[in-house]
Amino acid sequence: MLQVLIQGLLLSGLYALIAVGFTLIFSIGRVLNLAYGAYLLIGGYAYFYFTQAIGLPKFAAVLLAAVIGCALGILKFLLIVRPLRGNHVAIEISTLILAVVLQSAVVLAFGDSSKILLPIIPGVERVAGAAVPYSNLFAAVMSWVILIALWIFIRSTHTGRAMQAVSMDAKGAAISGIDADRVNMITWAISGTLGAVAGVFFASYTQLYPGMWVAPLIIAVAVVIVGGIGSIIGTLIVAHIIGFMEVLVSTYLAPELRGIFTMVLIIAILVLRPRGLFGREEL
Amino acid sequence: MALLEIDKLSAFYGKAQALHEVSLSVGAGSIIAVVGANGAGKSTLLDSIMGLTKTTGAVRFDGAEITGCKTKEIVSRGIGYGPERFNLFPFMTVRDNLLVGAYTARDDIGKNLAAIHKLFPRLAERETQETSTQSGGERQMVSLGRALMSSPRLLLVDEPTIGLAPKVCLEIADVLRRLRDEFSLTVVITEQNANFALSLAERVHVLETGRLVAEGRPEDLANDERLAAAYFGH
Repeated sequence: MLQVLIQGLLLSGLYALIAVGFTLIFSIGRVLNLAYGAYLLIGGYAYFYFTQAIGLPKFAAVLLAAVIGCALGILKFLLIVRPLRGNHVAIEISTLILAVVLQSAVVLAFGDSSKILLPIIPGVERVAGAAVPYSNLFAAVMSWVILIALWIFIRSTHTGRAMQAVSMDAKGAAISGIDADRVNMITWAISGTLGAVAGVFFASYTQLYPGMWVAPLIIAVAVVIVGGIGSIIGTLIVAHIIGFMEVLVSTYLAPELRGIFTMVLIIAILVLRPRGLFGREEL
Repeated sequence: MALLEIDKLSAFYGKAQALHEVSLSVGAGSIIAVVGANGAGKSTLLDSIMGLTKTTGAVRFDGAEITGCKTKEIVSRGIGYGPERFNLFPFMTVRDNLLVGAYTARDDIGKNLAAIHKLFPRLAERETQETSTQSGGERQMVSLGRALMSSPRLLLVDEPTIGLAPKVCLEIADVLRRLRDEFSLTVVITEQNANFALSLAERVHVLETGRLVAEGRPEDLANDERLAAAYFGH
């Protein structure tokens, strides 16, 4: 029981971090960034390259992965999203293609086989019969720290309030002197950074492989659909629902079924409550 | 001296033309009104001043051309706007709505908040309420407050009385006069309610299907048949 609780909490924290970068873009830019999983892919491989190929300190490698994610987010906004502004289908298809292209690039650079990341912090703690790797604990704690920092940023800075404003009323934001393009670019930068960092943690949870952008994308989409548009609190709650559901299913039913219930939940919510559990257009 | 000068301004939505060579000027420290029936182009006129539509012609503010400027630039030069539907941020508190208005004037937040709370004591009481749960009158106050947070010299207000109870209309009129007299703001309002406009403004311009058809002082226009014609047809 305690084991399920601990594993559920750890996994849910990570899922919340994975989903929040995607939620940000969806609530502010109103587009589904289907290349979101690619941030995690690139972030994970960048970390792998900097630590295990070049031998940089782990902390520096996480930072560099974050910088690369940030740059990727900005480039994606400037080269794809801004020119295609208003055409959501085109943006969504281009981002999906981009994810596939990035996957091929990773295969070309690092090969097809999966890689194991060395733990960020080695060691395992035994709690109530459950083995809790320090790495997973670290990932969960860092996820919470990042999420709280993001929440404070959005609630109490001018830029954060401007992001909320653009998501709630574009004209109201414009006549308040907010440049929506700039706010959008900042949002894409934050989203890319969060995605890349989440990728490092996600890869250390599972393993590094070129197709690893799909699973986090499904988690992120699930959280947005189940939680409703863009509420950070909603994102947190739903990440915990999904995280705990996966842990419960793989503990008491079968590990192979863990992803299935997430998908069934998506479909059920789409049919029963299309606006999501917490659906209101808020950050 | 004219604070705002509009010279042959035309506005377009796609191929449809919503304003036809509108020219008018607004003297500093005055309240002027643009009246007209629904669909006459009143909101389009104010949106166009704010750089929110596609236009030809010229708009000058304080002697400098602002045609083609970004809305952000126009706001920071000193034009505040309270739009017809308010365009508030529904799931933010009153206070946060006001703070968004301070995006371009961050140094004046303390001073402006104090002035707004003096003008609208109710906003001070309701600071933590979300605007989605407020009445129309309160939303109008938040909307005006948000515009004032940008430290404007010119305030544009689209239909300040629309949907409001008569008592609230009088309060709003009082606030607009105080903004002119105590804060030396220049105010441009649009109105469907011609009587409200005639009682408040020093000059009134009559807009009919995108064209200015008459202008003058309220006492001269009150019995002008062109005013009635703008509402009821010729």
